[in-house]
Amino acid sequence: MDNLIEMRNIIKVYPPNVVALDDVSVDFREGEIHSIVGENGAGKSTLMKILYGLTPADSGEILLSGKTVSFHNPGEAIAAGIGMVHQEIVLIPQYTVWENIVLGVEPVRSFGRLDVEKAQQLVRQKIDEFQFNIDIHARVEDISVAARQKVEILTLLYRNVSILILDEPTSVLTPQEIPQLFNELARLRDNGHTILFISHRLEEVLELSDRITVMRKGKKIATVEASQTNRQELARMMVGREVLFLSRRTTQSPGRVVFHIENLNLRASDGRTRLKEINLDVRSGEIVGLAGVEGNGQFELVNTIMGIQKPTSGRISVDSTDITHAPILERRRKIAFVPQDRGKMGASLTADIVDNAIMTHHRLNDQFSLWSGLLLNYPFARHFTDVLAEKFAVVMPSRSAPFRALSGGNQQKVILGRELMLNSPFILLDQPTRGLDVGSIEYVHDQILHMRSEGKAILMISADLEEIFLLSDRILVLYRGQIVADIPVEQTSLEEIGTLMLEGKPRDE
Amino acid sequence: MNSQRVLNGVVGVLIALIIGAIIMLVQGYNPILTYQALFQYSLFGWYPFATTLKNAVPLVLSGLSAAMAFASGVVNLGQPGQLVMGALLATIGGLYLDLPPELMIPGLALLAMIGGVLWAGVAALLRQWFEMSEFIVTLMLNMIADYFTVWAITYPFKDASAYSPMTPQINPKGWLPLIGDFNTTIFFMIGAVVVMWFFFNRWKAGYEWRITGQNSLFARLGGCDIQKNFMGVMLLTGALAGLAGGLVVMAGPHRFIKGLGANYAWDGVMIAIVANNGLIATFLYGVFFSAIQTGALGMELITDVPSEIAQVLQAILVLVIVASREYLNATLEKVAARRRARIRQT
Repeated sequence: MDNLIEMRNIIKVYPPNVVALDDVSVDFREGEIHSIVGENGAGKSTLMKILYGLTPADSGEILLSGKTVSFHNPGEAIAAGIGMVHQEIVLIPQYTVWENIVLGVEPVRSFGRLDVEKAQQLVRQKIDEFQFNIDIHARVEDISVAARQKVEILTLLYRNVSILILDEPTSVLTPQEIPQLFNELARLRDNGHTILFISHRLEEVLELSDRITVMRKGKKIATVEASQTNRQELARMMVGREVLFLSRRTTQSPGRVVFHIENLNLRASDGRTRLKEINLDVRSGEIVGLAGVEGNGQFELVNTIMGIQKPTSGRISVDSTDITHAPILERRRKIAFVPQDRGKMGASLTADIVDNAIMTHHRLNDQFSLWSGLLLNYPFARHFTDVLAEKFAVVMPSRSAPFRALSGGNQQKVILGRELMLNSPFILLDQPTRGLDVGSIEYVHDQILHMRSEGKAILMISADLEEIFLLSDRILVLYRGQIVADIPVEQTSLEEIGTLMLEGKPRDE
Repeated sequence: MNSQRVLNGVVGVLIALIIGAIIMLVQGYNPILTYQALFQYSLFGWYPFATTLKNAVPLVLSGLSAAMAFASGVVNLGQPGQLVMGALLATIGGLYLDLPPELMIPGLALLAMIGGVLWAGVAALLRQWFEMSEFIVTLMLNMIADYFTVWAITYPFKDASAYSPMTPQINPKGWLPLIGDFNTTIFFMIGAVVVMWFFFNRWKAGYEWRITGQNSLFARLGGCDIQKNFMGVMLLTGALAGLAGGLVVMAGPHRFIKGLGANYAWDGVMIAIVANNGLIATFLYGVFFSAIQTGALGMELITDVPSEIAQVLQAILVLVIVASREYLNATLEKVAARRRARIRQT
């Protein structure tokens, strides 16, 4: 097989001095599924964005079928036959499937009128050609994430793209939806398409790919045949050391109930029920994992616990104090909260590290007060930041650097440190390791387990089932705003929870 | 960060002056002589400099008001209304009170602030009670304040001997005294800058205001009382704009004349935007804008260039500085990235 694409000596520096790609050379063959694996921040996405024309390389060259090319925007890449499906799906929710697919290259009749029949016929043709099972008249907002992903792929196929880049497509899918995607990708390859597949999940990469390129910290480590490697070897190349895929959870019997939700209901302003009869207990020294496909009420549950949204009915209490209607500051005396979105809920990216580290403490800890609470004790705030950075191994250029200058892992350490140092009896974790690299994930997991051994009550929401199984004592499943299962981790399996997440009930035998 | 801001300001001002020079050349004026006249009447010499500072007071105070509000995530665009309401209340106080100057002057300044606070308070309460956006409410209240003050100086408080709408002069005990060439109004300005900086950077509430301005959801989840902070910022920035109005009366014509607010408040909002809501930057840009406005009047005396060139310069300045801010940062970062890439390659 010939090399279809060659990327040579690619260097990319993100201002001011983050070297995202350090002299990376890699080639892709026609008609192969080629996976690019690496931790978050290894440079996989950046490499693909350069190929796709989303971001320019600072040096290096790209050859497509032996000719030097350089795309200044995705439009040029698509015209040359290269398309990319992003992690976040970018479709218009109110449009139907076929409308989304033809958008931008619609067949038109005279006076620019949309030729609806021809458009639908063309879309149907593509769907038949690749045997995608999808209703072209469904509105995108009504279909599942997996189906939306198909629409994204179809959008590219409709534009006659022969090289498909998929950026972590499985991260939004449930275990049951993944094989179907893989079947479709394999069919595309057999049709002569080239698939570039970004992931950090090693099993699926091994299952799907023909060849695998491993990246670490901006460098290419190796390209290997999938048939001649294994998970341990890939993990070692990816992380740079041996990795244990083992739970470090010790046995420990939980104590009294710390966090308690009773008959909680939430109806949104549009009349839809978002949370229905939620009953939930978290005990001291216990980690409860809340699994569920995103959008099944996790966001609303978090907002209700934190006081951003008012429940329609029901009761929430911590340490037997009713906080259902308490102001947020009162809740914060008892709840440590690590949100899933660092930049939106967990920090102010433009403020400096000190300003981010002292939030909430500045109201709850008297040492932050001067002049009987009128002034903020900045010398103490700086000292506090140093203590936090030391305790949670934060690597920072200086305390006064803006928060966004920190890497994702270090940002998360500051947020986690800030929240754990509140020393609250209840800890709410919403996707605590989202977007972190393997090293940081291990660190965060260790901290969470440490809090468990200190007798904290921990509720962890995660989209990552592996994480849920690794840490939780009990697993709850949230499905369409309802808790449909509450099972000790020893008595269940990935498959059972996956089915519950998808269907809301156990599969009939 | 700071050095970048200074660089942005200096480069922006230089580019704006060059563009202004080109415009003058095209129209057949001598730019060097024009600039010489402009700055001779605004910066070079004690008297011109004192005049520039005095004229800067309403610009800087309303600019501080806008900068504080914007940086705290509060869209207070009511400076014009708050300014004239402050001026009116101070004028009324000055007409009816008779106290020794050391009480009269602070008293009138306080009244001016109360005027601004009351007017801003209307908008704050409307938001609190009915969730009405302060953005539109403060804008509309400007018009009401404008016509209300015109009515007040045309009917109840009109100077009977005057031919156009204006109040009589206030009690001379409320006039701000001169120290040499300098009007004491500038102490209020400098004091306000210092106090506001202290509030913003040392107060606990100031910390919450800053964070709320950058990410209000984070502040809210962190336990900050968003409603209380909103109210505080609204009233404080109202007080600043009101004080600006009172000081204009007490330092200048000593009465409320129709059109007294002029464009001070809108210029102040503009200055806040140019300063990217920085408090010290607002002060510096305020003085510089005042220098251009003040110098333009003198320049008109000794050159043929019409004083409107000051407005042209101002507009160019705003556009150049705001436009170059992001561009300059991006360029500097790109240059740094290139350098890194080259080092890597070798």
